[in-house]
Amino acid sequence: MLTSAFTGQIIVSGKLFQLLTALTVGILTYIAYHYGKQGRTWEIRQLDALEAIYDGIGRAAETGRPILMLPGISNLGNPQTLAGLTLFGEISQRSAEIGVEAIASASSTAVITATEAIVRGAYTAAGKPELYAPGKYVRWFGGDQFAYAVGSAGQIMSTKPSVILYAGYFLFDVIVSGDMGSRVGAVQIGGTLGSMEMISMMCDHIFIGEELYAASAAITQDKMSMATIAGQDWVKLSAVGLMVLGILVKMAGSDAILNLMGM
Amino acid sequence: MSKTLTYYRTYVIRALIIICMIATLASWYLVSPPIDALANELSIWNMNIVTFTLFVGVITILSRYVQGVKERADNWVFMLYAIVLIVVWIIFGTFTGIYADIYQTAFLSTKITLHISILGQLIFFMTSAAYRLFRIRTTRTLLYALCTATIVLCNSPLLLGPFPVVDKISFWLLNNPSMSGSRALMLTGGIGGAVLGIRILLGLEKGALRATEEL
Repeated sequence: MLTSAFTGQIIVSGKLFQLLTALTVGILTYIAYHYGKQGRTWEIRQLDALEAIYDGIGRAAETGRPILMLPGISNLGNPQTLAGLTLFGEISQRSAEIGVEAIASASSTAVITATEAIVRGAYTAAGKPELYAPGKYVRWFGGDQFAYAVGSAGQIMSTKPSVILYAGYFLFDVIVSGDMGSRVGAVQIGGTLGSMEMISMMCDHIFIGEELYAASAAITQDKMSMATIAGQDWVKLSAVGLMVLGILVKMAGSDAILNLMGM
Repeated sequence: MSKTLTYYRTYVIRALIIICMIATLASWYLVSPPIDALANELSIWNMNIVTFTLFVGVITILSRYVQGVKERADNWVFMLYAIVLIVVWIIFGTFTGIYADIYQTAFLSTKITLHISILGQLIFFMTSAAYRLFRIRTTRTLLYALCTATIVLCNSPLLLGPFPVVDKISFWLLNNPSMSGSRALMLTGGIGGAVLGIRILLGLEKGALRATEEL
């Protein structure tokens, strides 16, 4: 354990390994980003749910029905909500460019505020700021989980969206809105780490696990973002390597890796 | 708002995020009372700011519903009902305090009752979702449906009675493939979340946090 001669302990007990892991994630991602800046390129494999989003935007343009985005019941501190919002940022801009309405509703008022900013930014970037009006595209039904579930189900019934994207943190609430989405014939695309089984039951296409986080990078095809995904893969490879090493060391009768992780 | 002002505004927000992030991380990993105090203070500020966004939500809902009532939109009566309830509850809560007996009684007999009725309806929604799942359109849904059907059957009295050993099959499915799969999702999700955070801080993600000239 690292200690200082004057103040005693520096790192909180049991968190040294966590700190090293966090630093490793940061360093590996930054190295990949650095390579990306130097011109190295990576490709992301085709994501089924992402292809469905592309098709969905076209489908919405043909049918004249909106695209509905639901970022879930969590707040801005949840990375899943942030992933959903970044994905929504891309979708709303593409939709604004081709004249498709991208609407949303959320449970947290902080998420509502961020979503409004995203929609405003999307219409401005698409050169159509006059089409944006506060409260027109983003709705709030209350901070309660079931108020959100029932409110978004009602929004689905009244707007009859062509595509519904569930990207964020969901629990049982998704089953209410998901059922309504199926009834109005919407293509449903989902990604969460909250209630994956519910999303899998309701949606036609799903982002499996981390695909939710990679989707916003993949949709832009931005070289720098793709580079960070490569860094993410390096981190995963390191984690797998550590797991294999841990198994081998444990089989040899040593607790060295376990002790290292508990530092 | 000019482009330049928006550009600076977004960078100021990103700088604030970086300061808050470093303070929170340092408080988590390091033994330092001043950093803990700073992180705690920032957390209180965060709560205050989030509380202010509640007004955005209430104003959004009121403006929309007032417009709906004026134009006699579909279901305008429910909009009127919601407006009255919001105003009454705010006044009521302000004057009595939310822990007053009368407020709690009103809360439990309205909101909680509605909440429980929604919970009760979930079983019908789950049945409907299960119906869609068991239509089996792809190989993946076939596997999913087979596992689900096995667990349902292995927990039914019809099989458990004569063959108690079938219980082990459902436990094996839950404790081995299902558990390892969900842990893989958690691990990769955690790494993905951390890298997403780095992308946001680097300004690579579009959204409210990205500073771009198009904004």
